[in-house]
Amino acid sequence: MSTNMKRRTFVQGGLAASALAALAACGKKNDAAGSAASGGAAAGAAGGKVLKYFITNPVAIDPYNTQETQGTQVEHVLFDALTGFDWDKKEVVPKAAESWEPNADATEFTFHLVKGAKFHNGDPVDAASFKRGWERICDPNMATPSEIRYHLDPVVGAKEMGEGKAKEITGMEVVDDTTLKIKLVSPMAEFPYICAHPALAPVPQAALDDPAKFLVAPIGNGPFKMEGEWVSDQYINLVRFDDYYGQKAKIDGIYFSIQKDPSTAFREFEAGNLDFTDIPAGRINEMKSKYGESADTYTSTPGKQVLTGLEAGVYWLTVNLEDEVMKDLTLRQAISLAVNRQNIVDTVFEGTRTPATSVFPPVIDDDPSNAWEFCRYDKEAAIKLLDSKYPADANGKRGIKITLSYNSGGDHENIMSCVQGDLEAVGIEVTQSSLEWGAYLQAMSDGTVQIGRMGWNADFPNMDNFIFPNFLTTSENNYSKYKNAKLDEGLVDARKTMDEGERKAKYRALNQLIAADLPVIPLMFYAHNNIASDRMASLYHDPQTKTDFAAAEFA
Amino acid sequence: MIKYIIKRVLQFIPVFLGVTLILFVLQNVVPGDPIKLIAGEKKLDPQTEINLRATYHLIETDENGQAILDENGNTIETPLWKRYLQYIGGLFHGDLGRSYQQNGKPVAEILGEKYPYTIRLAIVAIIIESIIGIVAGMISAIKRYSAWDVGVTLTTSALVAMPAFWFGMLQQLFWGVFLKNVTGGSFYLPISGAGGPQAEFVDAVYYILPALTLAAVSTAYTARIMRSQLLEVLNQDYIRTARAKGLSRKAVIIRHAIKNALIPVITYIGMDFGGMLAGAILTETVFNWPGVGFETYRAITQRDWPIVLGSVTVIVIVVMVINLVVDISYAFLDPRIRLGSSKSE
Repeated sequence: MSTNMKRRTFVQGGLAASALAALAACGKKNDAAGSAASGGAAAGAAGGKVLKYFITNPVAIDPYNTQETQGTQVEHVLFDALTGFDWDKKEVVPKAAESWEPNADATEFTFHLVKGAKFHNGDPVDAASFKRGWERICDPNMATPSEIRYHLDPVVGAKEMGEGKAKEITGMEVVDDTTLKIKLVSPMAEFPYICAHPALAPVPQAALDDPAKFLVAPIGNGPFKMEGEWVSDQYINLVRFDDYYGQKAKIDGIYFSIQKDPSTAFREFEAGNLDFTDIPAGRINEMKSKYGESADTYTSTPGKQVLTGLEAGVYWLTVNLEDEVMKDLTLRQAISLAVNRQNIVDTVFEGTRTPATSVFPPVIDDDPSNAWEFCRYDKEAAIKLLDSKYPADANGKRGIKITLSYNSGGDHENIMSCVQGDLEAVGIEVTQSSLEWGAYLQAMSDGTVQIGRMGWNADFPNMDNFIFPNFLTTSENNYSKYKNAKLDEGLVDARKTMDEGERKAKYRALNQLIAADLPVIPLMFYAHNNIASDRMASLYHDPQTKTDFAAAEFA
Repeated sequence: MIKYIIKRVLQFIPVFLGVTLILFVLQNVVPGDPIKLIAGEKKLDPQTEINLRATYHLIETDENGQAILDENGNTIETPLWKRYLQYIGGLFHGDLGRSYQQNGKPVAEILGEKYPYTIRLAIVAIIIESIIGIVAGMISAIKRYSAWDVGVTLTTSALVAMPAFWFGMLQQLFWGVFLKNVTGGSFYLPISGAGGPQAEFVDAVYYILPALTLAAVSTAYTARIMRSQLLEVLNQDYIRTARAKGLSRKAVIIRHAIKNALIPVITYIGMDFGGMLAGAILTETVFNWPGVGFETYRAITQRDWPIVLGSVTVIVIVVMVINLVVDISYAFLDPRIRLGSSKSE
């Protein structure tokens, strides 16, 4: 190659690269620094007060069907439910309802709404709008019926409406514009916890007039309102609602960047285009040393931006109690003792998650008496238990063969490989079965899984929500097919106990009933793996993975 | 020619029916109940499950939309053949069904939102692929064994060996992160997304990196095919004859060689374009492109059969039409090919 040729090639290559960069520079919109109130990445990137936040495409942002983390992240700032939950005080606090009172046996609750509150379109937030919102959840004739109707099971008439036998929720009475009376099927002292669910929100008449539009541009009563429509797989823009009845937001807007791949979102964060994102697996410690760890693990401040706070969720192994092998309690106890949970947490999650000691995450109840006797690592004790019933042969095998199932993807394979190693170390022969998500759920429902991974994230931040849906004999989510009449009765009793201390003691006792039977083997409590940009003076991400956008502040 | 086109169009019908029928049967074979999957880990309550099945016509309903129960009080599943006929019937008035996972959104609407992005990205990628691939292949062939040729060969080998997600990620890191950092934010390209009214750059800029990534491997193949075809043509007798008659090398190449060498290249580009229109899952995922490829992939994992069927239906039609156009283009490129004529003619 001649020198001339080299030079020419170099110049041509350089020109091509410059052309691309120049094209990019020319491609920048002139109004990139546009007003913060207009929202969008442009304003944020130019230093405006719009928070740029990563989510994946939500299932729904209309409260009638809000169910998963992504949709909830958007919906909970568009809408205010009757109550909220204060994670510092660990108590239910007023939101759209300024106060409430139960009757003597907790079968009826009267809520008094904040006066003068408005929807984003100016309509008043009244008791009828709550009834309207809750009835949409129960209406079987919606374009697609809501999948979260079960939240309203405790309310009289909600089930009947879902079955198409009633046109309204008969247990909801609009006493006057600001008074709502709700009758319950059975006593439930913690009903205000349920009312804190973001989906149990009020809706204006517009939701019934144009339901298709409401799906993509819902009109709520929260501190932020929609700016345009949800553009599926691209973005959702919110701006501050200045007529909000409560404390007005400090930031001008939120740009939800809907990404398919968290790795791409992370690169956008690295390029300075996002203010909040997930940290990819295996990079948490690296990020901690680069960006600093949050002081309270939930709030990001400049220089302390990595969030690793424990969540209201638990990862466990569901045991099929109808399986011939797994129905032996001694074996379940031995398995639970044999699993080195700390090792899983350290090797797969860089120590951010916490080994589980029961089904209650510490953020739900941190009473030390909750710990299960067999929910700890004690290899020697596991061997001793197994020796008593399944003596090992010369090769160390005990004739126990189990299949450990899980859905592919995520970190499940790594977690299950750790579990497999631990169980084989005590003489249990383990085969892994990895199924694609759809097939795995089917197998779980069909009861063909012997022992497999599952988990629970709180719908409501109370102890009841960890026991009732998973361990009540008739609960849909009781994948273990666990039957315990004492527990069923105990739940009814705990639910109607008005005194908080007494009620909590009862739930703790129920927790120990489950501990004795081990229908699940808790492995670890989930934890955040998020990072915020140093543009944020303060950004709080709660244990239920909801970000407090209204309180967020820019540096 | 017209006869040939009509014949080919008629062939579309059995192919189309076959593909959709296979997919319909697959719905019942592949494990994973689409309605149960809607709720994920947290199960649906039985009544909601019935309501959802009734809404999506998966169980028999009365005129009020209420589920019909058998003598044991169980719902009655709508037979597969009936659902298939309903689907085909719906197609005639543009109804592709409604998504299970996206709040009953019409599939036609979903595809209508996603397809323009896929088509536009495919067109940009195919233009890059055609221009760079053909020109690089020509230069490589004409300047055989030169530094250009070596450069093209090495580059194409590297591009072919590099998976799209990796190449895409490298581009993001270089153009989006590194360049932004070293230039203090003066020069960089957007990493992901498709622009929109409130985006930082004009929409066209968002096409650069995904289109380059999508075109990368195909450009390499196009260049290779072009090079080998042109070399083959240049060695043929009629080229030597043309040169002997005094035509310049340039004239021979432009007037006589390229046209003939292009036939396999066009075939490849046509097929590739058809493939791109089916969506590019990896490119769409890495660059967060709102196209139809990722939508279809997500629908498969979530057993959102109406979307799977809808997108496959569209893809089948598009690919069949593109193949037809490619076949017809042969006749223009090579006069010896006369479509639809019998040998004796």
